Amino acid sequence: MTLASFIALWLAVAIALELFSRRALRLYRLVRSGKPVARFDDVPARARAEATDVLGQRKLLQRLVPGLVHAAIFWGFIVLFPTILIAMIGAVNPHGTLPRLGAQGWYALLVDVFALAVLIGVGAAFVIRKLVRPARFQGSHLGEADLILGLIAGIVLTLFLWHSSQIALGLNDYPAAWAPISNALSRVVAPVAPVTERVAVWAHVLIILSFLVYLPYSKHLHILVAAINVYFGRTRARGRLEPINFEAPETEVRFGSGRASDMTWKQMLDTMSCTECGRCQDVCPAYYTGKALSPKLLIMAMRDNLFSGSTAPIVPNAVTDDIVWDCVTCGACVRECPVNIEHIDHIVDLRRHLVMVESRFPEEAGTMLRDVDRTSNPWGRPQSDRMQWADGLGVRVLQPGEEPPDVLFWVGCAPAFDERARKAAVSTAKLMQQAGVDFAVLGPRESCTGDPARRMGDEYTFQRLANENVATLNGAKVKKIVTTCPHCFNTIGNEYPDFGGRYQVVHHSEFLAELVRDGRLQPAASERTITYHDSCYLARHNDVRAQPRELVAAVGKAVEMPRNRERTFCCGAGGARMWMEEKRGRPINQERVREAAATGAETLAVACPFCTVMLDDGVRETGAKLQVFDLATLLHEAVAGRQTAEEL
Amino acid sequence: MSVLLLDEGNDVSRQALTLARRFGEPRSVPIDAVQPFAPDALAAALATAADELDATAVVAAGTERGNEVMARLAARSGLPFAANCVAVELGNPLTLTRLRWGGSLLEEARMHTALPLLTVAPHALPVDQGPAPQPVNVKRPEERELAVHVVEHIQPSHGGVSLADAKVIVSGGRGVGSKEGFAIIEELASLLGAAVGCSRAVTSAGWRPHSDQVGQTGTKVSPEVYIACGISGATQHTAGLKGAKRIVAINSDPQAPLMLNADYTVTGDLKEIVPAISAEIRRARAGRTS
Amino acid sequence: MVLSDDARAINTQHLGFTMSPHEECGVEEAVRLIEANQGESVVVTLGPPEAVEQLRDAMALGIDRAIHLHSDGREWDGESTAAALLEAIRADEEAHGHFDLIFFGNESADSAGYQVGIRIAYALGRPCVTGLKKVTLEGASVRCEQEVEDGRDVYVVPLPAVLTVKEGLNLPRYPSVPGRMRARTKPVHVIAPTRPEPRLELVRLALPAGAGRRAESLGSGPAAAPAVVEVLVKAGVL
Repeated sequence: MTLASFIALWLAVAIALELFSRRALRLYRLVRSGKPVARFDDVPARARAEATDVLGQRKLLQRLVPGLVHAAIFWGFIVLFPTILIAMIGAVNPHGTLPRLGAQGWYALLVDVFALAVLIGVGAAFVIRKLVRPARFQGSHLGEADLILGLIAGIVLTLFLWHSSQIALGLNDYPAAWAPISNALSRVVAPVAPVTERVAVWAHVLIILSFLVYLPYSKHLHILVAAINVYFGRTRARGRLEPINFEAPETEVRFGSGRASDMTWKQMLDTMSCTECGRCQDVCPAYYTGKALSPKLLIMAMRDNLFSGSTAPIVPNAVTDDIVWDCVTCGACVRECPVNIEHIDHIVDLRRHLVMVESRFPEEAGTMLRDVDRTSNPWGRPQSDRMQWADGLGVRVLQPGEEPPDVLFWVGCAPAFDERARKAAVSTAKLMQQAGVDFAVLGPRESCTGDPARRMGDEYTFQRLANENVATLNGAKVKKIVTTCPHCFNTIGNEYPDFGGRYQVVHHSEFLAELVRDGRLQPAASERTITYHDSCYLARHNDVRAQPRELVAAVGKAVEMPRNRERTFCCGAGGARMWMEEKRGRPINQERVREAAATGAETLAVACPFCTVMLDDGVRETGAKLQVFDLATLLHEAVAGRQTAEEL
Repeated sequence: MSVLLLDEGNDVSRQALTLARRFGEPRSVPIDAVQPFAPDALAAALATAADELDATAVVAAGTERGNEVMARLAARSGLPFAANCVAVELGNPLTLTRLRWGGSLLEEARMHTALPLLTVAPHALPVDQGPAPQPVNVKRPEERELAVHVVEHIQPSHGGVSLADAKVIVSGGRGVGSKEGFAIIEELASLLGAAVGCSRAVTSAGWRPHSDQVGQTGTKVSPEVYIACGISGATQHTAGLKGAKRIVAINSDPQAPLMLNADYTVTGDLKEIVPAISAEIRRARAGRTS
Repeated sequence: MVLSDDARAINTQHLGFTMSPHEECGVEEAVRLIEANQGESVVVTLGPPEAVEQLRDAMALGIDRAIHLHSDGREWDGESTAAALLEAIRADEEAHGHFDLIFFGNESADSAGYQVGIRIAYALGRPCVTGLKKVTLEGASVRCEQEVEDGRDVYVVPLPAVLTVKEGLNLPRYPSVPGRMRARTKPVHVIAPTRPEPRLELVRLALPAGAGRRAESLGSGPAAAPAVVEVLVKAGVL
């Protein structure tokens, strides 16, 4: 140990720490200045998320090969962490090491194995980035990524060089045989070991310290922030949006995000966690069909805007209006993100500010908002028309004061006012009557759940409708609700509890599947080939994937599309886009219809009135040889078919 | 017994004349008696004439101008005024039926007045076949009555057929789907030399200007044929169609209100049907010339 | 449309209320003029207690304060409405100064009497221009464009004036939520006018008997095109 090397090390560490903390402190203060959001509840769930998503690399492994590449580097980093300290000690004193751990053979083995794993991982990463060149990296900072991979490789290579030099000089405290790779290398470096040992250890330490300084200025910041971001992620239902408290004093009400300073601290953390991996971009239906929106580029833009300290409005300076309105809130991005960024929350918050404060949104959507506000449904039709779909069916309309039925059939606006969506409601009603279910509808007392207004960012109108509906439902003492619409299902089930409405909410596919299972409905099987389109609000936001498939299997032969279940591809109507025009690129609904037609199935089965309309339009527009039917309609046909067959 | 008519010299005024005759021998004040148009002066002329003739009623057509002038007459004379009447029952008091909600609701009312002031809803009564009423002599109006007068007339900027005059109108509603979707509507309209109209949903969405809007708060039309494509038929819209002789409704929803209240209906996708009609017209024309 | 049991009103259960389209454009125009010229705007209505919602909507667009005349639920005809509004306007002008402009909808969407604005203008002795699609302030005058069959007629009248406007005058803004929240606390002055005996007295309402149109089906899909052309030929337009 020399005084010079001691001083040199501490100087290097001190400088590195100073530079690092200056930036880190700025980032910390930035996050502390973020607007409040309640993410301190449910510690067990948060701890679980850390275990599975951070330690277990669950989201990364959704794509196996790139996932394994990253896992190797990540787990390697964890195992190799103590070697940073060991190297610093060794830089000052060639004979020094961490007490106990430095002498453990098992640890030396782990280090060798994981260092090699990291090296292979980095190599594979370079192959992916340079040879395979996946589209998801379009728009990402590739040079930065290369530098980071290079630095990691440098760290591991200098570690091997140092260990092999140590072994050649007999400086190792751990038994050399337990570090097979370093041991083998030691024979190669033996002639120059005295030089390489010093050079390698100092190079190793300096690379690490430079990396430390570079960290908070690059996307590698994620190694500090991502784990924290995962901890503070959403623990409640995926389909639920955070309400705004309008009763707070005017200066405290947060109308979404207008400027960077309006973002919540969690949203700021989100932008700092982004690694620009592009998995979200890859699955985004808007990006896929040539729209302006890329979830990755959006988060990067929000991050850059945040760091720039700009006080200008986010829209249109950092993010264009088109980007904000292109989103269908399908959640595919959120599902893919390895660091649990919550893209939908960002977009809805941008929309909230645009709609509620600036009144700045696509004109055609304005018609829908006004209609929802004034006539309590997005079609602008009178509430008194809500029972037209049930003409002649003998469906009971629950009157105020009457005893509630076992099940309240929440019809929704689409079946009431759109002729194509009507069939599902009619079929469902007839099937429930056949199965002897005690049900009723609210008729003109049903108002829009407010979902389209909420997804557009008009939280104010949404809350008014939510409170009205909750008052009606609670007043009617309703306990169980079945609905044909996944948006109603999501809003009433996941969002109404925030407004005092707690009911057992079931989607009609779940309800009908149970009736079939119980034998109360007996469909005839058939050879008809059916491909089922998973609705985003059912399959992804709410994990309802199996029951619709039970129904498909009961009435025909199932053929799956490539993008199915939680990987489903949106029909294009979500995020209130049902009421907006697609101005660029290819229509999303046609894209999905092409995918369905390619399966060769005769029938495209759906479980949502919006999917029905969008995909039916898509079939007409593309001329595909497909017929679009709701599961309820298919089931009704099959049940009727079985009865006719039995009568004959 | 005399009755006074504010005469615009057209069918609508002659419909008003049908009702006016119930009150007595008609005399008229022509609407162009004061040039340039000055509504207060016309109201003053009506007041003077009614006084001189000892008229039993003053009647006009329920046009924009008719309603405006009659309301001014009511205001200056301190008399009640009933707009858009479709029926009267003479007596003391007078009983009348008038339109509300652009014609979707009827109001039966009693009018307590020595001089009923009425306008008659267009297209509600038959055109009077008798001789035109003799005009009264209109004196030179006073200065203050000329204070509100037309100083300038602006011609419409677009060369197309105006909605109010058009013999044929091809109109699109929400069902057209988008601004670009109106291309097929415009195509059919140009083949027919027709005007293009739209519903309020379309103007609210910003697909067409308000000047194309047909309805209660848009333009009220009276074409020979009104072709409605993808229009559900809210009362707002149908209130503007009372004068249409024939309504052809094209809609995918056979239960849409306009489908139940049209003369002819076609069920199906307008995006297929409208181009098919255009194609059929071209075929028919080619067939005729060959 | 469903009528009440005594057929003297519409059954408004399950119906939402809104401002008349012409009037909404008048409100928007007033807000724009004050934004451009400094000053104060007031919205006034005669209606039942629930009508305060429409006053709040107007104030959410930017109107400063409101006057609410309670109609005690009875039917007020055009003449009675004008008389009540006139009194309220006169009282307000005495307290706060005269209005440079008073906007009315050309006619109301429901009873469409076409007379309230005109009656008030005459009573106040101010020029009145009706059916306007465009309004431009020119110093101490206002230039008004009225839509007619073959274009537009232009009037120029001095202030103070009374204008009745039509939908299409402007596109009313979508109220911001902060605007709506502020509107909740803006002042509403309530007056309870006495209803005079109407000279146009409502007896009852009735729904028109049958539309009178036969709805003959020409078919479905593009295959119906020839039948449509036949109708056009028979009508003499082809």
